[in-house]
This record gives sequence, structure tokens and C-alpha cells, in this order.
Amino acid sequence: MTAPTQAHDGATGAITRAPRKPAPTAFTVIGLAAVLLITLWAGAGIDFTLAPLIHDLTRGEEVLRQFVPNWSFLGRDAVITASLTTLYMAIISSVIGCAVAMVVALLASKVSAPNAVVYQVAKAVMSAVRSLPDVAYGLLFVAFVGTGALGGMAALIMFNIGVAAKLTAESIDAVDPGPIEAVEAAGGNRIQRAFTAIIPQVAPNYFSYCFYVFELNLRASLVIGVVGGGGIGQTIMTELARFNYDNISAVIVLFIVVVFVLDRVSRAIRRRLT
Amino acid sequence: MTVDTPITPAPAGAGKPARPAPPSKVRKTVGMLLLAAVLLLAFTQVDARWERLPAFITEAPGYVALMTQGVLSNPVVDPNADYWLAAINAMIESIQMAWIGTLIGAAISFPLSFLAASNIAPAPVVFVTRQVLNIIRAIPELILAVAVMMPIFGFGPLAGAIALGVGSVGTLGKLSSEAIESVDTGPIEAVSASGARKMQVLRWAVVPQVLPEIVAFWLYRFEINIRAGAILGALGAGGIGSLLSALFNVRAWDRIGITLVTIIVITIIVDQISARVRSRIIFGDTKVRVMEPAEVH
Amino acid sequence: MIEFRDVSVTYPTGTKGLDGVSLTIPEGEFVVIVGLSGAGKSTLVRSINGLVPITGGSLQVGETDLSGIRRRSLRTLRSDIGMIFQGFNLVTRTSVMNNVLTGRLHSTSSLRSMLGWYSRADKEIAFDALERVGILEKAWVRASQLSGGQQQRVAIARALAQQPRVMLADEPVASLDPPTANAVMRDLQRINRELGITTVVNLHFLDLARRYGDRIIGMRAGKVVFDGTGAQADDAVFERIYGRSLTAEDVAAPGAPARAGTDAGAGTDAGAGADASTETGTGTRDGEPLDDAASTSPGSVQAAGTPRVASTPTDPAATP
Repeated sequence: MTAPTQAHDGATGAITRAPRKPAPTAFTVIGLAAVLLITLWAGAGIDFTLAPLIHDLTRGEEVLRQFVPNWSFLGRDAVITASLTTLYMAIISSVIGCAVAMVVALLASKVSAPNAVVYQVAKAVMSAVRSLPDVAYGLLFVAFVGTGALGGMAALIMFNIGVAAKLTAESIDAVDPGPIEAVEAAGGNRIQRAFTAIIPQVAPNYFSYCFYVFELNLRASLVIGVVGGGGIGQTIMTELARFNYDNISAVIVLFIVVVFVLDRVSRAIRRRLT
Repeated sequence: MTVDTPITPAPAGAGKPARPAPPSKVRKTVGMLLLAAVLLLAFTQVDARWERLPAFITEAPGYVALMTQGVLSNPVVDPNADYWLAAINAMIESIQMAWIGTLIGAAISFPLSFLAASNIAPAPVVFVTRQVLNIIRAIPELILAVAVMMPIFGFGPLAGAIALGVGSVGTLGKLSSEAIESVDTGPIEAVSASGARKMQVLRWAVVPQVLPEIVAFWLYRFEINIRAGAILGALGAGGIGSLLSALFNVRAWDRIGITLVTIIVITIIVDQISARVRSRIIFGDTKVRVMEPAEVH
Repeated sequence: MIEFRDVSVTYPTGTKGLDGVSLTIPEGEFVVIVGLSGAGKSTLVRSINGLVPITGGSLQVGETDLSGIRRRSLRTLRSDIGMIFQGFNLVTRTSVMNNVLTGRLHSTSSLRSMLGWYSRADKEIAFDALERVGILEKAWVRASQLSGGQQQRVAIARALAQQPRVMLADEPVASLDPPTANAVMRDLQRINRELGITTVVNLHFLDLARRYGDRIIGMRAGKVVFDGTGAQADDAVFERIYGRSLTAEDVAAPGAPARAGTDAGAGTDAGAGADASTETGTGTRDGEPLDDAASTSPGSVQAAGTPRVASTPTDPAATP
């Protein structure tokens, strides 16, 4: 580092030369290439094009014109019943789903599982339950017990278990092991360990997940209703079949407003929990 | 209590110090009663035809047996091979739809997330952007597809992908903006102190810090979108949802079983790959698990 | 009586925790175990209640033999042994009372503990335990609202609520500042004297060990290298335990920030310095830093050189 010239001297000054910018890691290169390839493949697979946005916007406008909400539709008894059914379904499914989810989560966390076999089985079950979409459950249970809220609730419950059990199991994985050790040292059994050392620690998160699941249920109940699971989704489906777009748009606006408001309330409660 | 006075056990009968009274349980009790009342109302008022409940025991096992039969029958013999291939192809289409949808959602939500971050954008902009994101969040993909996308793009996977994309904007924007808000302020100050412009600060101080986390959110959303796309399929957007609803219409239980198993297996594989990539992006190690952000749905 | 006969513990990783330890701890004794981090102190203490299973020799606690013990009898044994930990191990989100009642789990049915329905008698035992450590009035406070010293008292009360015959303490004062550490040690000593509970305590620091232990056991590399009274534990003994001669830092009280730099220091728990700083306002019974500074034993450099103690008079606890 005596003379600046030395820094540019190829043979001896190599040490003082600024290091060359490192090449991007293999992970980055392969990753970006993979993203590009998958995108091209996926785009081709679904015939991706934005052309309709330009050409057919007018067609959309035509359809959209029929969407002028018919507000009087909301006053019909059937619609009010369906809306309330959706709300009741969301409440019942959240409560049952979250209760089951806690049991599954306790079995599917290394911290609380009684043994490795139970843990592996519970994790596998949890993954399988999570991997089926809500519609699949909707179609399945409606086929089992017929159209209506009963099948819809069963579907929502399965969907809730998938979501809440995973989140809760991850919270259990992260609990402070100290109190568990203390309960063990005091001669507590497994159930006592869960209820005195684990559940009190995860309770705020868990209740927060329960409210979250309730929020999801309001939206998912629409999906479930479309496949015959009862509630407002079923109303939308019926009206869609009759091309009553004005009725649908009124329901949709109501639905969005209700979900928006309940979302806010639920979030406010969740913020206080954690 | 005086300093370091040895506390000897009180002699029997002598007045022990008064036991502190437990805190009032009124709030807890009222809360529990309220919850019970709401549940009772829901259970009694919901139009559920509870008398159908036994069907879960009397009828469902029969259907499950039929599905299992389909899954267990030799898969290389016709027509079973076609059934499996049809399910796999439909699932691939669902994945493609979810992938494009997620990219659209990522592209739209990325800039919005900076506008919704209170440490980047001015307060009025933050407020407006957040409300927009909240409204999008409240609209299910289903409605976007039925009301907006299908009229323009027609019934097909493209409409599905775009509906998924727009539907993802709400959550992705919210999660990303929260990540941006929690960045370390040190680098921002340092880059700002060197006289950088706002865009330069974002590019060199904020983006490098939040990008891994945001990309992980995208991947999460991709996993969710694979599932969310199914309902769009049921309405005609193609993919696994279309296949499933067609099969349920004709009650082809053996094929339903095959299709459900295909969904489970492929979804778990994709989830696993996505989880590995997320871990690698965030921790530089595929072994460490990244905790799922609540609210990615 | 606790009897170790040629006990060894090898962890699944291959690390040897204990290496041929033979010891007899008679009923009612106050034993302090000292040694470097990793010398096997913690393993020794945890083997007594089976938190660490022994892999060789035989270990007899009361009438129970711990080798190959079944889960059920292990739980019964554990109900007779109270334990307190360095990190207190409280469920900080719940009340002090709920934490102390954890000590009654062994005599509570699973169903009752699920619902949190403890019997009146159990509650009275818990209140008694809290009274004994002087924080009865905190019974319904959330544990997270207590200072470190108070939390450790809750932990002691929890162990007492078991009505144990043996009390184990694994580094009970390593996360506390010197005055609080002394107060907690005095609590343990007092409980040992008053109730005759056999007490086994792990400590990093020889001076605390000398002050409170009836008997000191020095450990190094899983072996017992010293077994005698505090008076016998002179500088030569120190060298045998710690593998080098005494320096000022070794006898600094726990929680002194100066510790961090020593390489083979007599234990350098990362938590020790950090946690101590959270220890403020530890309640009336902690208010004795001046006594401690004055009563520093000759030859011990504790207190004098450490900034922590110099600053304690400003501690709210110092001005009762």
C-alpha cells in the first residue's frame, strides 16, 4: 500500500486491488432461470394474453351494465335467512374447527406430542387435510349429506382445522421449554404439561388464529355455498343460473360491506389479544 | 415486611396473614356466557337440517369405500390410467393458473406495499392505500371472477389467473407493507445521510432488507392460490376445480377418489418445494423452517 | 438420603456428563456443587430427579432406584423433589398463583388440572408456600410483572408447594444481581433449616458456595474433585476445580458484567449479565446491598470491584 500505482500492478499488487464483484450464487442463477421457465410454461399452459383487456373491455362493459344493483332484493326473507345462515355457519365452524385444531396441533408439535410415531402421523394428517381446497370439501360433504348448511359446515370445519392446526402447532414449537421442564420436574403428566405449561403460553396466539379463521370462514362460506353448502353463496349461485346479475351485485356489495366490517372488528379483537 | 426477617411457620390456629382475594371473574364469566349464547343462537337458528347428521355415519363410509376402491385399483390398466392422467393434467393446469395469478398479484402488490408503509409514504397515501388493500381483501376471488374477470376474459384459466392475481393483492400488499415497516432504520439513515434520493434509499436500503421476506410471502400465496383456484375451476375456469365438479355431478366416486389423492399428493409436493425454497431464501439453509405468517389467505 | 454409586451419564451425542460419581447426601444437608460450565454440575442435579437418565452405575433417591425406572414411578419420585431453575421457568403469562399450583399437579387429577380446578387444600398449600418466601401479596399478579428476584421466589414457592423432601436448584442465582442472589440463597438456606429439606444447589461461584453450603462438592470433567466443608475449600482446592488459580473475576458475584471476557472462567452464562440488568425494584426483601458489600468475606474480591454493586445504592430496592 505504498504507491497507488502498485494497486494496478498485475503481478505484485494483486492483494490491494479491489476484490472483483462476486458472481451471483448458483442458487440465484438457477432460481431466476427456473422462475422464468415456469412462468413461460405456465403462461403458455393457460393461454395467457392480455388482449381481451383491450378488445373485449366493451363486452365486459355490456355485462357490467347488467350489474346495477337491485337493492330491493336484499329485503327478501330468503336473502336475509341466507345471510344469517352464512354468519351462523362461520361461527359454528370456527368454534368446532378451532377446538379440534388445538388437539391436532398438540399432537403435531414435537414439544407436546406423546411420541415420535404420533407426531409423524399427526403431521401427515395435518398436511393432507391442508392440501385439499375448500371446494373439494364442499363438494364432498354436500355429496355425503345433501345440499344445505350441514355439509357446508363440515367442509368449513375441515378447512379450519387445516389452517388453525398448522399455525397453532408452529406456535407450540416455539414455546419457552422452561415451564414444561418445570412441570415435568414437579411430577406432572402429559395432559397436565399441555394444560399448565403449553396452552397458557400459546393461548393469545391461538385465540388470535381462531378469530382469523372466523374471518376466513365468512369468505370461504361463499365458496362452499356455490357448491351447495348453504348460505349466501347458494343464493348467488341460484341467481347466477337465472342471469339475475342485478340481484347478484346487490348481494355482493352487501357481502363485501359485511366482511369488511367484521374483518375490522375481528382484527381489533386480535390486536388486543396478542 | 421487614428486611430479611426469617419467616417462621405460623403456629397452628394463630392468625395467618389474610390470603389475597382472587381477582374478579366477572369479565371472564360474562365473556363465556356471551360466547355460549352466541353459539346457542347459531346452533338453534342455523338452517342446517341436523337430522341429516347421521348420514356421516350411515352413508359416507360407503362413498369412502367406493373412492378407496378407485384409488387402489390397478392404475396402469385402462381406464384407470386415463383417470390418473386426467387428474394430474388438471392439477398442472391449476398450478399454472396459480403461478401466473401469484406473479400478477406480486407485480401489483409490490409497489403498493411501499405506498402502504408508514415509514416510506406520507400518512394520507398510506391511509388510502391501506383501505384499498382492505377492500380487495374483503372481496373473495370468486366474486372477482364471476363479476369482473369472466365478463371480460370469458370462462377459462386466464380469467381464473387474473382473478387470483387481483385477489392476492390485498393480503400480499398488507404483509409486504408490514415487512417494510419493520425494517432496520440504520441502513436507511446511512444511505439517506450519503445524500441519496428517496428512490435510491428504497432501492439500496429498504429493498435488500425486505426482499427475501416478501418473496417468501409470494411463495406462500402461491400455495394458497393453488387451493383458491379450485373454486374458480368449479365455475368453469378450468383446472382441478372443473374436473372435480364434473365428477361430483355424475357421482363417479372411484374417479373422485383418484382425483382427491392426486390433489393431496401434488399439493404436498409443491408445498414442500416451496417451503425449502423459502427457507433457503430467508435463512440460506433449506433445513430451517420458516414460520407461516398468519393471514396469508 | 441420596446415594450415587459409580454413576455415569453419557449423552446421545457422546458427551460424558458424569464419569463414575460416587456420593452420599444425607437427609437435610445443604450441599453446593461448584465447577466450570460443562463440568457436570447440571447433569448431577438433573440426574437426581431423572430429567437426565443415568447410563451407568446406580442412583438411589430415598427408597427409589433410578436405573431403568418406569415413567409412572419416576413421576411419583419427582413429586417428592422440588426443583428451581436458572431461568425461573415460570409461565409468565399467567398468575403467580397458577404457577405455584403447578407444584400440586402430582396430587391433582388430569381432568381437574385441565379445568384449573385445584382443591381448597392445594390452594392453601400454595398460599403457605408464597407466605414462606414473602410474596403472598403477589399471589394474583401476572408472573411477568414481577422482578427477577420475585420470579425466582415464585419458583421456590412452586417447588415448596410440592411439599418435597429434596430440593434441587440448578444455577438458581445466575440470572440475578448480587444482592438479590444473596437474598435468594438465604431463602433456600432458611427453608433447608426450617423444614429439613435436603437441598442440592449448583453454583458458579465459590464465594457464594462457601457462604451458604454445609458441604461443597467440586466437579471437573464429570468427576468429583473436591468434597468437603466451605472452610476446607481454599485456593488450592479452587485450582483443582477450575484448573487454574483464582483471579478477581472468578469470585465476582454472579451478574457482574465483567465476567463476559474470561475464557475458561468459572462459568460464563451468557444470560447472567444481561438478565441482571432487568432486575430492578425486587421488593422489600431484596433491600440489602449495603450489608452484602460490608460482609464480603476476606480474600473475596466480590462486590468491591464490580460496577454493578457500586451502583446498587441507587437501586430502588436499596431504599426501603
